[in-house]
Amino acid sequence: MSGPVAPPLPTLRDLLARAHLRLIVFALALATTSLLVSGVIVIRAYSQRNLELIARTVAYTVEPAMVFGDPQAVRDGMMSVGAVSGIERIEVRDPAGPVLAAWDRQDHGLGARIERAANRVLWSRPATGAIVHAGRPIGQVRIFGNSEGVLRYALSAAIIGLACIGLTLIATRILARRLQQDVIEPLDHVAAVARDVRLGGRFDQRVPAAGIAEVDRFGQDFNALLGQLQGWHDGLTTQNAELARQATHDPLTGLGNRALFERIAAAAIARAEVGEADSETRPFAVLFADIDAFKQINDRFGHESGDAALIAVADRLRASAPHRDCAFRLGGDEFALLLPGPIGRAGIAAVTRRIAVALQQPFRLPSGTDARPRVSLGVAVYPDDGESAAALLRGADRRMYQHKQRSRSLREPGAERDDP
Amino acid sequence: MIALVPAALGVAVAPAWAARDMPVAPATPGGDPYAPAVARTVGAMIDYTRWPAPADPLTLCVAGPAAHAGWLDRVRLAGGRGVQRRPVAPAPAALAGCEVLYLGALPLPAQRGLTGAVQGKGVLTIAEADPDCRSEAMFCLVFEPRALTFRLNVDAISRSGLKVDPRVLRLAERL
Repeated sequence: MSGPVAPPLPTLRDLLARAHLRLIVFALALATTSLLVSGVIVIRAYSQRNLELIARTVAYTVEPAMVFGDPQAVRDGMMSVGAVSGIERIEVRDPAGPVLAAWDRQDHGLGARIERAANRVLWSRPATGAIVHAGRPIGQVRIFGNSEGVLRYALSAAIIGLACIGLTLIATRILARRLQQDVIEPLDHVAAVARDVRLGGRFDQRVPAAGIAEVDRFGQDFNALLGQLQGWHDGLTTQNAELARQATHDPLTGLGNRALFERIAAAAIARAEVGEADSETRPFAVLFADIDAFKQINDRFGHESGDAALIAVADRLRASAPHRDCAFRLGGDEFALLLPGPIGRAGIAAVTRRIAVALQQPFRLPSGTDARPRVSLGVAVYPDDGESAAALLRGADRRMYQHKQRSRSLREPGAERDDP
Repeated sequence: MIALVPAALGVAVAPAWAARDMPVAPATPGGDPYAPAVARTVGAMIDYTRWPAPADPLTLCVAGPAAHAGWLDRVRLAGGRGVQRRPVAPAPAALAGCEVLYLGALPLPAQRGLTGAVQGKGVLTIAEADPDCRSEAMFCLVFEPRALTFRLNVDAISRSGLKVDPRVLRLAERL
């Protein structure tokens, strides 16, 4: 049951262009119509007056011909004055009614038919002029107007109106383009920056200045808001990083803690499993270490010395590791090194040798005396000694313990005296 | 100076029109078909002429033997003015008191003598028997079959001391 697809939202440019077009077309239509109507009214009024004047002139001209009783002269007089444009028909009538002479405009085109239809509307009543001789009416001139002039005016007004509407279309296009440049492009900038912030977290982006005061103010406010957001974001990021570091690192030695070790070991195992076909990431090794007789150090020299020993061992392990992030303090005096793959027996031996050399460096106890830490190591290799972080750690621990037992059993009893 | 040759002008009276306005023959004494048209034309000429001192009734003097003047005493003028017909002898001395002089069939010199005598004295002169309009009369009637036209002598009109409506000039027969 999929509903009807929502139509795409109209853009501001479309809205503005449409609003402008409607407004201008409406204004033009209004102006054209009022001009047309008032023009027709004025022209009709003038034409009516003109017709009345012509009727009176014809009446005056044909009066002697009527008195002399000369129909040819009546016709001639009528024609000489009246046969001008804007007249459809002239009649000279007797007072009794019969038409003595008449003249009709000769035109039978399509235009003439339209004109005649318009004539009936515009000139329903003819203009009349009484033919008076010595105060006595002896006839009447009737003139029927012609709408040719009015129609020509209306036609030209319509053409001008259409031309104006055409110009308006072009003008609104230009206007819409200018509006787009001035208003919509800055808004688009804002939208692009907002998108960048949202998707890319790029808080350093800023909206460029715009050419319109309101839009520019909006852009500036947006930039200020962005600045505040950036401040908050940076603070949060720093705090988060600090919290994350605190959660995964040992505060005393600065090494990663057990949780971090487990996470990184799991990730290394996952990588190794995925990349099983090649030997690029496997095998890798876990090296377990603890400080020999750490409890006695604490007991004999105090916790401060124990802490100093932990810090010293941590520094040396970190310095000996392939890179500084793969040394961890698992808890108490237990340390672990994650040796990234691929690593062979020679590589592991190189690391343990480096550790042994580093541990030759004495460290200073709070009491001022120098001491040399002694550390037991055990190694487990993935996947031979285990396929999980815990198993690897257990394996390494077992090896270390075995090693510790062996070295203790092999060691001279007096060697113990070198211990701090 | 205006050309001395009389401008011969005319007006055509369509028989139908004349028949409608003025029934011809049967009612006419002597059966002259032109008489009503002559009366109408003379009346119109009088109507479109202005005298310096309008008289009522106007005295219409008929000099010489007039063939178509039968209806002249029935002429009705605009404004209800009357016309008094007076037969006069064809001599200049007999013309005193005439406002209109209707010249009958007189020899051309006699006609000229009469028109010359009233020149400038405010007398409207109409010649009946002078189709070429050489009598120095202001208006000359031209009888055509079933139609009456007239010519006019612009020179004579300008010297007559009368004012003739210029619209009448348009009605005169063109040369």
